[in-house]
Amino acid sequence: MNEEPRIGVYICHCGVNIAGSVNIKEVVEYAKNLPNVIEARDYIFMCSAPGQEIIKEGIKKCNLNRVVVAACSPTMHEHTFRNVLAEAGINPYLLEMVNIREQCSWVHSDNKEAATTKAKILIKMAVAKASLLEPLKEITFKVNKNVLVIGGGVAGLSAARDLAAKGFKVYLIERKPVIGGNTARLGRLAHAEIKGIDLVGELSRQVLSSPNIHIYVDTELANVDGSVGDFKIKLVKNPRYVNEKCNLCGECVKVCPVDVPNEYEFGVSSRKAIYLPFREAYPPIYVVDSENCTRCFECVKVCPMNAINLAEKTEEIELTVGAIIIAAGHEPYEPPIGEFGYGVSSRVITLFQLERMLDEAGPTKGELKLDGREPKNIVFITCVGSLNTTPNAYPYCSRMCCSSTIKNALMIREKHPEANIYILHRDIRTYSRGDEQLYLKAGESLIRFARYREAPNVIVNPDGSINVRFFEETIQEEVFLPADLVVLSVGMKPPKDIDKVRTIVKVGCGPEGFLREAHLKLRPVEAATDGVYLAGTVTGPKNVIESIESGSAAASKASTLLTKEEVRVEPLIAVVDEERCSGCSICIGVCPYGAIRLKTQEEVRVAEVDPALCKGCGACAASCPTGAMQQFGFKDAQLKSQVLAALIE
Amino acid sequence: MSKDFEPRIVVFACNWCSYAALDLAGTSRMKYPPNFLVIRVMCSGRVDPQFILEAFRRGADGVLVAGCHPGDCHYIEGNIKALRRMTLLKRVLEEFGIEKERFRLEWISASEAEKFVRVANEMLEKIKPLGPLKVEEVHMHG
Repeated sequence: MNEEPRIGVYICHCGVNIAGSVNIKEVVEYAKNLPNVIEARDYIFMCSAPGQEIIKEGIKKCNLNRVVVAACSPTMHEHTFRNVLAEAGINPYLLEMVNIREQCSWVHSDNKEAATTKAKILIKMAVAKASLLEPLKEITFKVNKNVLVIGGGVAGLSAARDLAAKGFKVYLIERKPVIGGNTARLGRLAHAEIKGIDLVGELSRQVLSSPNIHIYVDTELANVDGSVGDFKIKLVKNPRYVNEKCNLCGECVKVCPVDVPNEYEFGVSSRKAIYLPFREAYPPIYVVDSENCTRCFECVKVCPMNAINLAEKTEEIELTVGAIIIAAGHEPYEPPIGEFGYGVSSRVITLFQLERMLDEAGPTKGELKLDGREPKNIVFITCVGSLNTTPNAYPYCSRMCCSSTIKNALMIREKHPEANIYILHRDIRTYSRGDEQLYLKAGESLIRFARYREAPNVIVNPDGSINVRFFEETIQEEVFLPADLVVLSVGMKPPKDIDKVRTIVKVGCGPEGFLREAHLKLRPVEAATDGVYLAGTVTGPKNVIESIESGSAAASKASTLLTKEEVRVEPLIAVVDEERCSGCSICIGVCPYGAIRLKTQEEVRVAEVDPALCKGCGACAASCPTGAMQQFGFKDAQLKSQVLAALIE
Repeated sequence: MSKDFEPRIVVFACNWCSYAALDLAGTSRMKYPPNFLVIRVMCSGRVDPQFILEAFRRGADGVLVAGCHPGDCHYIEGNIKALRRMTLLKRVLEEFGIEKERFRLEWISASEAEKFVRVANEMLEKIKPLGPLKVEEVHMHG
């Protein structure tokens, strides 16, 4: 745009919100005399229909080509006023907002004179920048209708189910050999009288019955290119070494010489190097654990179906999707050896190990026995790994452990009416529906609750017996309990390798490593990266109900994007002045999105920005040694003009 | 020192965290001194040290760069880039004889309006006794 800037300044009273502390009349007079300003006007509510008319009228009558609106924060009404410019026939990016409400009148209402002076300087800064604004073209992308769901736990499964029901094609990937996630390993769930595995089974059936869903197990995310509406995905499918000809006859297991702890039973039982993770697993195909397999080929020899191929290689899969849902879940906190006697005594177990022992279909067929004897004194310790209970613990509450502890204690009580059951807690948080009743029932069932502040001391005696010592907060006394079994109610932590996923998809995380929502309250299932959604415990601890809810929520949110034919993106992205670019490629190293590359043009190497990948942070512009790299809307000259206007009278 | 000295302080605030915190200070009707003039950038990583040198050269009595906390950056790690640059810039400012109290880099999340108010008051308290930045005494070229 080479024409002379002709600027209109529109100052809002916002009722008394601005006019109450800022002398509007004085500011209007001041604005009239600023360079390039043709018209300055005020109105009681600039965002109202008559207010918008004033601006449109000004643009037409005064032949304006730039607009400055001094009103509220741009986060509030920038969009509104951009539309006003567009309706008046000028480019919407020729607008500059001045925040004289949130950042002036409201915070300086005690000093009217200072507020007025500050409003003038802020307007002067905006007018200076407005003179240098350029018309920009919005970027649009076609939206691909496929979705990638990362994680086959309850959140991922419910998201996949809902999206498929809306008619979108869903690719569900799971890095483990089975779908179902952590919920599949839970025993009877509270209230619902349904076991974790049955709940997962029901969800899986719904998912598998849809022709729109493709499930890839043993599969990890390798790379993501592109952006909202058009992500190019690369997956790596790790070898399972057993194909779908497998008829689950189990002959292979009989001949496998390897014995390792079964992670699907939290080490309560062992498994072979060729195994089925659990009985109801999907897909119902054995898997070879290549890390522990000795390549003796005994299984290959006995397989009647010829389903085993130990030479299988990894496979690369490429997909294009419009949206990505990350439902990568969590991992249970694993106490370090010695924490509360864990790993020192076999009588100290985690809540998940107990869940497996109490499951009638589990490795002990539901029998709770240690060294052949039923435990008489059982002590639960909650908040293991949570609420900063120990130096290794996380600061947050893991939300599901209190209720789960009480549920398990009640299950023990049913079978062992004589047992002494204690629950040592920091605080009982049975917030989910029906859980408080469970807590009351536990009290009625003579399960004893005691409160600690300092982590209880679990003493493993030389003869193998255990004592738990702690200071009880309510009675203010030291308590000493003998224990045959200590159950540690462990919390949740971010899943292993989540950093790899989040770096590939480019999503931020909080201090503990859980993924970060775009806004905790307003956008709880969206990542800050457009087109990426978050579901389940990957954003922080949730119980089964909440995980399924968030899976459905993420699916719903994703569908608002997928139903669109195209998406529009603000063009506040990086741009290269090819004349000035020296091809040094510093910007390439700085770009977090891989949006810049070098191209050779007339035998000279210059940087090039991919507008589909650039998110407009401006880091490249700040690092460019020649000033060739700039950011639309935030060019060096535009920002410097604001600095200058702020300082020079 | 003149009692009437009112320092003029330029603030570069990132759109997602610190600018939102400044808005929150307003909606919460907090009070802070009117000496702070905010320039909005999308990310603290956009702030070129040259802008800050320019501000001091043109007579700013202080500059504050405010971004999201590490790990919270909307653009993954723009704030870390800002941290690296500003650490280096602090040494340059020292070389120029600009008192270290005049420049601050702060992590202010969208919910930390109170932190901004605290930082603003602290900065003002420390800059006032220093008096205006005497640019002619500072050997800055460019």
